[in-house]
Amino acid sequence: MSPALPAPPEPLLEVDDIQGNILAGFQKDHQLLVGLRLRDIAAARRWLRRLVPEVATTTEVHHFNQLFQRLKTRRGRDPEGMAATWMNLAVSAGGLEKLTSPGEVAQLPDDAFRLGLLARSAAVLHDPAIGEPGGPDTWKVGGPDRVPDVLLLLASEVRSQLDAAVDRLLPRQDDGAAADLPEVIYNEHGDVRPDLPGHEHFGFKDGISQPGVRGLLSHNPDVVLEPRHLAPSDPRSQVDARPGMELIWPGHFVLGYPAQSRIDGTPLPPPPLPLPWLKNGSLLVFRRLLQDVHGFRTFLRERAADLAARPGFAGLTADHLGALFVGRWPSGAPLVRSPGIDVPRLGADEWAANHFNYVAPMPPALLRPGEVHPPDRFPAAQPDAAGLLCPFAAHVRKANPRDQDTEIGDAFDTATRRILRRGIPFGPPLPADAAGPDGVPRGLLFLCYQASIEQQFEVLMGNWINAPSTPRPGGHDPILGQAAGGADRFIVLPPLPGQAGAAVTVPLPPRWVTPGGGGYFFAPSLTALNDFATRP
Amino acid sequence: MKITRFTPPGNNTDLDGNAAALQQWSDLLSGYFTEAVDRLNNFLGQQGAGASQFYNPLTQGIAAPDTRQDITWNGFPRRFISPQPGVPTNYAAAEPTPAAGLVRPQDEYLEWHVTRDAQNRITSVQFTCEGPDYWRFLAGADQQKLLELYRQFISPQVQLTDLFTPSGYNVRNRWNTANGAMHLTHPANNLFAEVQLGAEATVRRQQFGAEVTSSAALIKCARFGDGSRNSDPKIGIEVNNFARQGFHITLDDPVGLYIDGLDDHGWQFADGTPAQGFFKILRGSPTRTLRAEYRLPSALAAQGKTVSDVLIGGKPIHFGGQIAERITMKLTGVVCQPNSVQNLPVACGAVPQLPALGAAPLAAQADELKVTRSQA
Repeated sequence: MSPALPAPPEPLLEVDDIQGNILAGFQKDHQLLVGLRLRDIAAARRWLRRLVPEVATTTEVHHFNQLFQRLKTRRGRDPEGMAATWMNLAVSAGGLEKLTSPGEVAQLPDDAFRLGLLARSAAVLHDPAIGEPGGPDTWKVGGPDRVPDVLLLLASEVRSQLDAAVDRLLPRQDDGAAADLPEVIYNEHGDVRPDLPGHEHFGFKDGISQPGVRGLLSHNPDVVLEPRHLAPSDPRSQVDARPGMELIWPGHFVLGYPAQSRIDGTPLPPPPLPLPWLKNGSLLVFRRLLQDVHGFRTFLRERAADLAARPGFAGLTADHLGALFVGRWPSGAPLVRSPGIDVPRLGADEWAANHFNYVAPMPPALLRPGEVHPPDRFPAAQPDAAGLLCPFAAHVRKANPRDQDTEIGDAFDTATRRILRRGIPFGPPLPADAAGPDGVPRGLLFLCYQASIEQQFEVLMGNWINAPSTPRPGGHDPILGQAAGGADRFIVLPPLPGQAGAAVTVPLPPRWVTPGGGGYFFAPSLTALNDFATRP
Repeated sequence: MKITRFTPPGNNTDLDGNAAALQQWSDLLSGYFTEAVDRLNNFLGQQGAGASQFYNPLTQGIAAPDTRQDITWNGFPRRFISPQPGVPTNYAAAEPTPAAGLVRPQDEYLEWHVTRDAQNRITSVQFTCEGPDYWRFLAGADQQKLLELYRQFISPQVQLTDLFTPSGYNVRNRWNTANGAMHLTHPANNLFAEVQLGAEATVRRQQFGAEVTSSAALIKCARFGDGSRNSDPKIGIEVNNFARQGFHITLDDPVGLYIDGLDDHGWQFADGTPAQGFFKILRGSPTRTLRAEYRLPSALAAQGKTVSDVLIGGKPIHFGGQIAERITMKLTGVVCQPNSVQNLPVACGAVPQLPALGAAPLAAQADELKVTRSQA
């Protein structure tokens, strides 16, 4: 690795103007999503005026999270009774047209947002078409005539507080006549799994890898949004906030800030914004993803048994096959750090579980003096340029190829495709001993923020997750990938470490994750929300 | 891999029955490989770093179990894609109005020509990934076949005299620039460059005391191509990954750059009817496509529909580049005998000596000389 040059000064983030879920993240056990359709615009603005003071800012959420984390670290457990209920909101292109004007929305610098998820669903995300299972006409939200103008996101440690908050925040009589009020067309709870907190319904730990956003909270250059934990003597201290957390310039998540070059990672001045109210806003992708847990488990069990009889796959278990599909073990331990067996303690240490590359060796990180995080004593990640430990099409390798080159660039380019994930599961877990599908909807309320849906979320989905030949030939992402137009879905698996044998191509069913709704939204700044609320 | 002859790109049948020409093509390709291997041997010898891991499968064929590895990249030139959020991709700059003799600025081994109607709506887009080396060779071997292919794929009006200058075949003739895309024109887009890039990328590199493993660092260090492209760094690092694992490395026969495929899933017309399956392979095969065309079936064209009516994720096609960015390109490497070569990494800066170029403009030299990816 080349000696890292000191990073240029980072920008001051206007954290009192940026909604809190974008940069800080709610990080709550319970969320409630409410979709509304605006009717009378004067009534909508009255409602919005009442709502704006309730919108949680980055300052508020960040400080709460910091205090919560400090107490948790010192006490060794969650601080009892410490709770907050947050609300953020986002607006679809249709909603923005109502609150501003079609001419203004036409100037938004992201075609995907302006066109909306419905228009992008089949061509970019390979979703089923209208009339097919999982097609937009079957969606609970976001299908034809069911696109919300406004999406409210509420979050709390205590589910009952969510219900109280929503009662307070939804449109009510003093906002206008009943027929004029914004109409609720969707609401759904998301909850962290009570049996496996932090895991999605297939049983794998989720949300481990997040980018660290550069930027200052005050004029003091030491007061940064993402605390820096690496010793200055560590060459990665200029590019990582902590082991495995890459620092990304804020212009990839919030409009109006420096982004970074796809060629060499250097910061780029932000392009002029076509509209002042775009400043401090962000684009939100919401996908309601239904998971076929029984089908996934059955496939793993049956196919692992088949494969175990083949040279190169002796002893393959269902859990191991699942790990090959995901790129991590259920605990979150990455295959490149533990190729043969799950190491729950590694998975539980989110710094260590994220401290790896696919190509270059990743030496142990040097932490700052006084750092309280326990040292990483797990086996180092093994370079895996050939995809022998972690298949090229494994979910986490598709969604973030890290230092592996892609068909559109290298690690510098990949860094500019990162997203801030804020999703949460919905529906009850399927019991481990369930004999069959129970017919209960469950899945993930996937939420992510970025500055460009077209260049970030849609590149991850369209270029990598759904594509069998890119970033590297090796099949589709078995978890999220969808083959084009009924084509066969597959993944190429290398023989298990230490075993002789040829790679095998494993045919996959069309999908285990089916879209069940969603939308593309804009999360405005508080200044913009005030503007929308007070326009004549 | 051990072969008895290099076959023409995409296993095309242009020279079937012409044994002498087929042999000459094989000789030409073999010369490209031998030149690369010799240059590497000289260079690595000078550096005390070992001997070439890249080999000529015809003259140095290795009879051992091979692994074939497709190396893929996006067909739309990286230099025109959006550099950051809020700045759109510059499709217009990627396809300037065609003019006689004008080289296309499309440097990812994929070039295209857009045909428009009087209302400026796109009626078809032709894509090619055939190197000019082959066409220059064909012009020397069989002029009638050359003319036949131009008339088949570009226009029945093509005359042989249109394709030649007094000094020989004109790569940038008007039927391959202003009026069509028979084969690649960008100086970097040639088979010689592909072979040299593949070869030079087998040199292991070191910098700051560590072996180079990132594509950006490798291409800066070894200078075998242009780091602002999709293709050069990707090909370079994937070849280099194999080199670091001690493989013997070569390129699959038939040597060529190929269209791997187009993702047109979900494309539709404004009324919601599907607009898929309009991408037709014209030369080559589904696994080694040399030439393809995007054009609506005649029944749809008869209804007045054009390519510009097709929506990709809700966006109408205004430029051929919107299709190109959905095309994946590939070449195929062949490796064998891992851990059999233990070359030493070479410091950055030192590079194998390339053939010297003259003072003439590069595009002109591309007609006559071997131009590499780093020179173009």
